[in-house]
Amino acid sequence: MEVLQYAIRKLIGGIPLVLGVTFISFLLMVYFGPDKTYELLGKNPTQEQIDEIRHELGYDKPFMVRYGEYLKEMATLDFGASDSTGEPVSKVLARTVPISLALITPGFILGNLLGILLALIAAYHRSGPIDKYIMGFSVVGMSISFLIVVIAFQIIFSSSYGLNAFPVRGWNVHSFSDYLRYITVPTLATVFVALGYNTRFYRAVLVEEMTRDHVRTAKAFGTRPGKLLYKNILKNSMIPIITRIMFSIPLVVVSGSLIIESYFGIPGIGKVTYDAITTGDQPILKAVVGLTAVLFVITLLITDILYRVVDPRVSLK
Amino acid sequence: MSSEHTAPLLSVRNLVVEFSTRYGPVRAVDDISFDVYPNETVGIVGESGCGKTVTGLTLLQLIPMPPGRIVQGSIKFDGRDLTKLSEKEMQEMRGSDISMIFQEPMTALNPVFSVGNQMIDVLRRHKNLTRRQARELAINMLDTVGIPAPRKRIDEYPHQMSGGMRQRVMIAMALSCGPKLLIADEPTTALDVTTQAQVMEQIVKLQDEFHMSMILVTHDLGVVAESCDRAIVMYCGNIIETAAIDDLFHKPQHPYTRGLLDSIPRIREERVAELPIIRGIVPDLLHLPDGCRFADRCPRATDECRKDKPVVNIDPVTGNGVACYHPMG
Amino acid sequence: MSSVAPEQVADQAVVDDGAAHRESIWAKAVYKLRRDRLGMIGLGVVLLYFVVAIGVWLGIWATEWGDVEGPKWAPMSAEYWFGTNIIGQDIFARAIYSTKTAFEVGLVVAVLSTIIGALLGALAGFFSGTWIDEIILWLKGVLDSIPFYLFVAAVAFALTGNPYAMHIAMVSTFWTTTGRLVRGEVIKLKNFEFVEAARAIGVPQVVIIFRHILPNTFHILLVQATIVFVAAIKSEVILSFLGLGVQDGVSWGLMIAESTQEVLAGFFNNFVWASVFLFGLVMAFNMFSDALQDALDPRKVASE
Repeated sequence: MEVLQYAIRKLIGGIPLVLGVTFISFLLMVYFGPDKTYELLGKNPTQEQIDEIRHELGYDKPFMVRYGEYLKEMATLDFGASDSTGEPVSKVLARTVPISLALITPGFILGNLLGILLALIAAYHRSGPIDKYIMGFSVVGMSISFLIVVIAFQIIFSSSYGLNAFPVRGWNVHSFSDYLRYITVPTLATVFVALGYNTRFYRAVLVEEMTRDHVRTAKAFGTRPGKLLYKNILKNSMIPIITRIMFSIPLVVVSGSLIIESYFGIPGIGKVTYDAITTGDQPILKAVVGLTAVLFVITLLITDILYRVVDPRVSLK
Repeated sequence: MSSEHTAPLLSVRNLVVEFSTRYGPVRAVDDISFDVYPNETVGIVGESGCGKTVTGLTLLQLIPMPPGRIVQGSIKFDGRDLTKLSEKEMQEMRGSDISMIFQEPMTALNPVFSVGNQMIDVLRRHKNLTRRQARELAINMLDTVGIPAPRKRIDEYPHQMSGGMRQRVMIAMALSCGPKLLIADEPTTALDVTTQAQVMEQIVKLQDEFHMSMILVTHDLGVVAESCDRAIVMYCGNIIETAAIDDLFHKPQHPYTRGLLDSIPRIREERVAELPIIRGIVPDLLHLPDGCRFADRCPRATDECRKDKPVVNIDPVTGNGVACYHPMG
Repeated sequence: MSSVAPEQVADQAVVDDGAAHRESIWAKAVYKLRRDRLGMIGLGVVLLYFVVAIGVWLGIWATEWGDVEGPKWAPMSAEYWFGTNIIGQDIFARAIYSTKTAFEVGLVVAVLSTIIGALLGALAGFFSGTWIDEIILWLKGVLDSIPFYLFVAAVAFALTGNPYAMHIAMVSTFWTTTGRLVRGEVIKLKNFEFVEAARAIGVPQVVIIFRHILPNTFHILLVQATIVFVAAIKSEVILSFLGLGVQDGVSWGLMIAESTQEVLAGFFNNFVWASVFLFGLVMAFNMFSDALQDALDPRKVASE
């Protein structure tokens, strides 16, 4: 009951955020966004034809009315049909979101798990040679552009100049083995890039926790270094770790999939969104931006509840 | 207590501990030797930065290494030289034969585990117990240190307890495996005055019950007077005086000890115009004088003091000793 | 005092002696920085790149970056050190010229977003708990919740034809981290005695913020600026690939984007050399930035 009340309070508190995100995106993508009038007209249109199209597209209505309609669509989850294909937005989302999730989830999980693992190893050997190698690797990882990694991995794994073992691009998935074949190279690239940042962040968190008084106490009572690390230190470090993982979810879903999907030609939500930007497909844009903002608010909520689980001092107030 | 007949439980000889800093190595503990006998309570007193805390931590090898380093010396405990033990053997020792309690009960316990969880970990680390047995033992220990309703309290988290309560939990944890030596580093400093007395009383009582020796590291001479058999006074990493407690308080030999005693405010004494203080500042550990480290602040210092460092000469009869060329009468 | 860690005890003893070692945070930082070998190597490499960029800017070298004179896909030779690209442009000249582009993007974005972050962060911190703080926090929350590449794309299309659309988009999102850090520091600083004293004698709030508080956050700003610089250069690559990046001129990002057509045909020069130049600068900057953080903030905190 306490949790439910808290959840409702928190969701209501998220309204200004959603309003802000939708307002800014409306302003940029819809109000100042691409004007589709002339795409829909034949050659040498008359003023009446222009006015008619503009009326149909709703361009002649005042700013606030248009924003109001946008919000109404958001609230009712009714985004209409895509301007470019005529396919209902809900259908487009239902088709593309699962592909994106299937594509990025393995890399996201592996990138974080391996990051924590490497960070634990580095922290355990703090200042020693193993720590230095791991941190050196992570700075190198941080310094290589994602795009370079993607291209290099494609050459190495998918081209005749390398192993030529995986498909170059596309998404022709009919079985689990197809799925593995198509996600391998994108996943390796994602993990490689994420690992640099993650390892460094998690190591810093762990090392800071290692300097706390309670760690010295545990040591003074004979706790073995391994147990010290995975029990005492890891659990105490969970708040920053959870924060990082949770907050990266909404961004990874759209931004992360955008690059991979455009490069590998995978028809996920990232690619659809990018195409929608370039063609000014407003119903799709509205849906994506609005839903991302809602996803953010939900993420905030879940994050707070997770804090409560790992740290008894946090209360849901 | 320092009799000729019993062997000391702990025997520290010529211990030197160095920290490397940006400006070069700093000797936080410089060539100290002392003994602790069974059932004895020894106070280590001095101002902050004198090396007393580092001494306490070094006995259990809890100073961070690096930057810390035991340069030389031996720490004989129960016949074994702790400086020669492997890290594994040292881990076995910590919390079982030698326990330590710390100043800040607020931060010294892990905030995300219940006190029971932390106590059970310690018990099961050193004793072959099931979880249930360990829990029962932990509840018993909490009861012993005077925590009311221990069966309920054991599942609470540190932040749900008062400072005094947390320190009692620390004590319970420290005593749970029956250590022979307890190192208490300013155990009551962070507590409020009334709790201080209660907690200190409890520690002294339990020390008798458990037949342990204790090293009490503190800056508070009052606590030393009430609970110690013998005291060691440290200054700039050196021991400058060691004496049985009555001797130390009634006939301090070192001018620094005298100064420390004089600067304790006393109630019910003739009014003094001004509380005496020790003039000057503690020298920087990087730029120590060749001679006596207290010479620059000492009213009795002579050229001799500035030339050669005096060493502690222990009187074989009393066990007392002072490092001074011009001791007080 | 005895609760502090022993190294602090040792340090304390050093610091407590006033005259010999009372140095400012900056003197200490410079001392530490100069002893950080990797950091100094990083700084050296960054300066080398900077000299290259200045040379391009002054028109001393790489002026032929746009010429279409060579043969298509020429191999590496004495004439074309790094070979040529698909339309016969000299890859070496283009890679050198791109150094200027990188510094332009990096400096513009780093400087502007640091200034905005400092101002908004200081305002929010100084007026923490009031509506000013609320609005700035809300704005930061909103900008942080819009996926970055979508936001840049939206700005780019909203400002069609504006060559600075990318810079504007980066600045409007990159200030938020700086802003948050400055806000936290200002909240800490404003309770310090020197601020209270200034307030007590009637110094105007604007003067307090700009003369007394902001200068004390300079170490945060400096470190953040280096981090934003790297982020901007790296983002440029992705954005150029997406067609949202540099609009006129050439950049490593554009070269890599170009090369995606070439690598599958087996011509790697464009890709390799642009990548090497980019990696060199980013790596050197990261090493320098790390050393700077170590030097300026001994308790480098990772948490949010």
